Amino acid sequence: MHLRKLVFTTLVLAAPAALAQDYTGWLDKDDDWAASKARLQAFGEEFDSALSMYEFLFRQARGGDSLTWEQLQQPAYDWRGIYTRTGGGLSFDPDIRANETTAKLTPAGAAARQQKIDRIQETGGEYDPISDCRPPGFPRWATEPFLHEFIVTPDQTWLINEMVNDIRRVYTDGSAHTLPEDAYASANGDTIGFWQDGMLVTHTMYLLSGQYQRGTQPDYSDQVEVVERWKKVDGITLEADYWVFDPVNLAEPWYSRQSWTELDNDDNYLRLRYWDCRENQNNDILQKDDGTSQFMDFDFVDDDAAASSDNEVR
Amino acid sequence: MKRLLLPALIVTALLSPLAWAHHSAAMFDFTTTVELAGKVKEFQYTNPHSWLLVDVTNEDGSVTTWGFEAEGPSTLMRAGIRKNDLPPGTAITIRGNPMKDGRSAAAWIDAVVDGETINPRNGFAVIPADD
Repeated sequence: MHLRKLVFTTLVLAAPAALAQDYTGWLDKDDDWAASKARLQAFGEEFDSALSMYEFLFRQARGGDSLTWEQLQQPAYDWRGIYTRTGGGLSFDPDIRANETTAKLTPAGAAARQQKIDRIQETGGEYDPISDCRPPGFPRWATEPFLHEFIVTPDQTWLINEMVNDIRRVYTDGSAHTLPEDAYASANGDTIGFWQDGMLVTHTMYLLSGQYQRGTQPDYSDQVEVVERWKKVDGITLEADYWVFDPVNLAEPWYSRQSWTELDNDDNYLRLRYWDCRENQNNDILQKDDGTSQFMDFDFVDDDAAASSDNEVR
Repeated sequence: MKRLLLPALIVTALLSPLAWAHHSAAMFDFTTTVELAGKVKEFQYTNPHSWLLVDVTNEDGSVTTWGFEAEGPSTLMRAGIRKNDLPPGTAITIRGNPMKDGRSAAAWIDAVVDGETINPRNGFAVIPADD
């Protein structure tokens, strides 16, 4: 196991520098954000894969910093508190509205998105797979609201969403990714990372296909991979650069800046609570034949079949 | 925690109804609003959604139980709505967008209890901690 860490680090650091790639460091979200965002988008476009971008960042950081428990008291690593997504609603890119996208889609990606738009216009609704409490998956994870906690330790960082008890684990102990022969696709994939001057840089792969959000947000394939750079930008705000690479749906990597704000919680009422659709039968959702959604069986209606005009409930 | 009661936050107006629910809102009719007066039967304070059950007496004297769907406990707490705020028997006037299929359920918009308006959708307002 330790040999794998050593081999990964040695191979990446010893590899020749990629050609003509200019490093773009963290850029603040200030009045010149549109120009900065364009630079960060262009930075991602210098790479043909998420892994090559991550390895470039790893080399640029000379393998990253080793954290100690004592360092975690420093403001850059103190991510304690209850957070929620700062804004953006159902849009993966929080700078725009939910019915828009800044993704540069391939023809296949554009067609898939148009199919979603057409279906919603035709039926007036949709069915979201998370209706049965399955995980939203990553990178959709970034768009989900509700409460979050972020747990930093020297060897792992846990990125937690209350919704469906969803935890992303980032291994910062120098581990390489799961070997291909052992890997399989999962909702949150496999994430490794390193620290550089208080910034957490990650790479995620082995993901399931999904959608960035419901509505008219695009889809992603099971070839999607993501590079993130997380940073505590002030006492209550975590921001993260996201570069999503997906050769099926994206003609170019999709850059966005995600953000989470620590919530007021002076009385400690807020905490992450267990989340299970079976807690309450009134939350059981039926996927209808037309692709929309319906409640199944209310416990406060004596005879749902008789009371409902919906044939699929009847 | 800063308690969010009236006046409703402007941010609420910016949110689509049930925009962040764990399911599509296709089953609700957002062109129609029902307003009902009754008494709280049960507050099912659960994830992913809470349900406020309200007994409403009809003109013929019969009682219909209506269910009003809201977000889960953490979002309701952010809106200042705690489980014990609405015990059984509480007199309430409540508004919601009804189901399209005629069943007695609705997406909860807001309610008035003891002259005070409560709005479950205020739970999505981002009230930051002190920096």
